[in-house]
Amino acid sequence: MTGILETRDLCHDFNGLKVLTHIQFSVQPGERHAIIGPNGAGKTTFFNLVTGVYTPASGRILFKDVDVTKAKPYRLTRMGLGRSFQITSIFQRQTPFQNIRLAILSKNRIRFNLFVRVDRMNAINEQTNEILQEIQLADEAHLPTSTLSYGKQRSLDLGMALATAPDLLLFDEPTAGMSRDESHSAVELIRKLTEGKTMVIVEHDMDVVFSLADRITVLHRGEILATGTPYEIQENDAVKKAYLGESEV
Amino acid sequence: MIARITPPAWTRWVLPGIAAAILLGYPLVFGTVYTNIFIHFAIFAVFAASLNMLVSYTGLLSFGHALFFGGGAYATALALENIPGMGLFPAIFTGGLAGAAFALIVSPLLNRVRDTAFALLTLALGQLAYMACIKLRDITHGEDGVGGFPIPDLSIPGVVSVSMVPAQNFYYLAIVILGICLLLMWFLTKTPFGSIMIGIRDNPQRVDFLGFNIPLTKCLIFTLSGFFAGIAGSVYALFNNLVTPDGVFHIMTSFTPIMMVYVGGIGTFAGPIAGSGLMTIIEEIATRYTTQLVLFNGILLVLVVMFFRTGFVGLYLLLKQKLFEKESSR
Repeated sequence: MTGILETRDLCHDFNGLKVLTHIQFSVQPGERHAIIGPNGAGKTTFFNLVTGVYTPASGRILFKDVDVTKAKPYRLTRMGLGRSFQITSIFQRQTPFQNIRLAILSKNRIRFNLFVRVDRMNAINEQTNEILQEIQLADEAHLPTSTLSYGKQRSLDLGMALATAPDLLLFDEPTAGMSRDESHSAVELIRKLTEGKTMVIVEHDMDVVFSLADRITVLHRGEILATGTPYEIQENDAVKKAYLGESEV
Repeated sequence: MIARITPPAWTRWVLPGIAAAILLGYPLVFGTVYTNIFIHFAIFAVFAASLNMLVSYTGLLSFGHALFFGGGAYATALALENIPGMGLFPAIFTGGLAGAAFALIVSPLLNRVRDTAFALLTLALGQLAYMACIKLRDITHGEDGVGGFPIPDLSIPGVVSVSMVPAQNFYYLAIVILGICLLLMWFLTKTPFGSIMIGIRDNPQRVDFLGFNIPLTKCLIFTLSGFFAGIAGSVYALFNNLVTPDGVFHIMTSFTPIMMVYVGGIGTFAGPIAGSGLMTIIEEIATRYTTQLVLFNGILLVLVVMFFRTGFVGLYLLLKQKLFEKESSR
């Protein structure tokens, strides 16, 4: 059985400093997979390798059974991979509507259209409004994005990843920097939006992880310490010792 | 939201109608000297607007836009000099194509760098073109330039044939061609492609992750910008009936549209057009009464950079808001 996303013997280093060693990772279609681990465990590096920001030092990455080890981000997006960022990555100087519309244009494979006014493309604008409804930004659709609250900007970031209709969603700490309340509603939003979708999430907040994920992978010093259901991970001795035991549980 | 009162449809045509009437009547009222000044303004408005596609809409500062302007000017001049029976429109189109071709050739290089490195690379390429133009004597006649080439008549065979030598006749040709260029560039900013350009300016990483091929997109932007700069250069060549390395490839030819973009208002479509108008007026007044054009331009640039970052268009919007919208905004 092969997963929608697989890595085989994935290794990476920054100028000799080993960040990831021999990562064997697999996500099955429909799974909600969380990657946890202490700071510096290599979680974000792993995401950057998988999404084509970096090219791995060695090993292979397979997405939908296609070797994408050296694929650029735009190729992966076109193949059906969506990503949100740890540091909110949106178009601050434009409206949420314009932000989402760009994603919708990409989803409809409109890339070199020089002949139609974009505000007259009704189908595009309708799809944009649908996404804005889903991420609960319809009321703020035409305000400057920079005036939105942090939580709403994070929602917009998620919305852009969703709007390209990906088959696999990668969320890099979607609740980073949020207050308890904001974080709670963000989790609800993610749960609703990713209903029936395949998702990989990197997260620090254990409440978020245990409420969203069916499977958890623990990264520690660039290696996979354990993979299993939330219950298995909670009971795993090596994990307790290396990670959970130090702080909570 | 309160429904706006929509004026009747014909009112949309009032302002464009007045503008068209002024443009049509201008050479009849003001005579040859001012007609020529206006043509000069229009050429540089298109040139600056083509640069503005990079500066304001894609976030790339080019210090070598003369490469495309000069390429277009030389292509038209050389085509008219060497190809007997070359028509007027094919000659202008050749200029545009040359600008686009130059842009296409350098775009793989330009795609590799950003920010300061991009500015310096364009500067180097512009200077390279300047030197090449001087050294390639057999083709370009070196520093003497290409001059005195035949200016074809505007002719529709069997119907009409109009000489393009009198300033007033050339004026109408120039404003139609340059006006179409400005309209096309404006339209471009409203298309999906225009949205992608603005996205690249604001957050290239996100554009990449949305599934757009940035190098290919930029390549097309450079090519289109080069095409319009080439058309501007081509009209310049026809207008002056002389192109020289110092006239079209010199580094000042690259700086002039940058100044126009900044003086007129960066980040707006109208900015470079206003900038071209303002600088043409200043040039006219300064050179008529003094010999210190560079001093005036320098003072203007300092004023804009220090006090009016948003340029002339920004100042206009600010004044409009202060004078007319005080009550409604509160």
